[in-house]
Amino acid sequence: MRARIILGSLAALAAASPALAQDPAPAPMGPATAIVVSGPEVGVAAPDFTAPWADKAGIGSGEEPFSLKALKGQVVVLAFYPRDFTSGCTAEMRTFADRYDAMFGGAVLVGISVDSLETHVRFAESLGLPFKLLSDPKQRIAAKYGAKGDGYNRRVVYVIGKDGKVAWREMQFNATDPKGYDRLQAAIASARGTS
Amino acid sequence: MARGGRIAGLLLGASLCSAAALGAQAPGVGDAAPVVSVHDLDGQPVDLGQWIGKTPVFLEFWATWCTSCQALEPAVRAAREAYGAKVEFIGINITVGDPRDSVRAWVARHDPPYRVLYDDEGESQRAYDVAATSYVVIIDRAGKIVYTGTGGSQSFGTVLGRVTANQ
Repeated sequence: MRARIILGSLAALAAASPALAQDPAPAPMGPATAIVVSGPEVGVAAPDFTAPWADKAGIGSGEEPFSLKALKGQVVVLAFYPRDFTSGCTAEMRTFADRYDAMFGGAVLVGISVDSLETHVRFAESLGLPFKLLSDPKQRIAAKYGAKGDGYNRRVVYVIGKDGKVAWREMQFNATDPKGYDRLQAAIASARGTS
Repeated sequence: MARGGRIAGLLLGASLCSAAALGAQAPGVGDAAPVVSVHDLDGQPVDLGQWIGKTPVFLEFWATWCTSCQALEPAVRAAREAYGAKVEFIGINITVGDPRDSVRAWVARHDPPYRVLYDDEGESQRAYDVAATSYVVIIDRAGKIVYTGTGGSQSFGTVLGRVTANQ
């Protein structure tokens, strides 16, 4: 049995511990898979960061990087994912795009992976993504949010409330489970005060 | 291609282990295949238990937009031609980004090499811990998982030959 062991709040281990990056490069299966879960829990202030971004129209201005702090007062969704153009990530991002208005209306969604801005542009363009993709090649942001895998981000989603605190998180978001998207949509609605 | 997974190390002693909370159990090679109920394209329930544990099963989780699934299709089609008399070939559409009507139209155009099912409740995706489309699970006659893999380049001949031997 391949077991997933979740260790809570082990921030000190996050940077050193390899974790699952199933989508881009499946590795030979071992008897167990342990995932170290860290990052801010619900109710904790979301760590601030800035990052370069791209969208389907091109690479964003380097003078105006994405800034989490600048969005205080809005609901923000951070979707960490392994790699552009892989099947799980395509499932996730195209579903976000398909359900964008109903799911994210009034909130700010960004996807975050290790991919370059140039790759992000191609990926966003190929799927017509109506949101920004942030480039985090050294996984500095992922490390802050417990999403750092072994060379790739794990699939982790945070909903940040208007107060800048974590309102909801899913540390093992399953891109193929339709119910996972329903839970995320409910969490966003709750954070927006519309549920 | 074997499905991904690895042991994350650095369990720093028993204190950390005792702090661990066991999460979901995901089935892998050697485990019993989960028996769940999904739907067909008409919304009728389909119990996978009518095949699992009774005959070898080839199970692919797919979507119409999945390029890896399209790349994999010739291999699946060849496998079905070779082993379809002894193996039940099932393709479960994950339904994510794939409305039922779109899937129905796609199936009519492409005639995929498996029985098409549709899991809009996500029961099978959760039970099999499906991380991506093109995920294939092969189950032997006893209901045990003997192969898992993901991606557009997979080879099934050896394992299907094994599970159909002596039938």
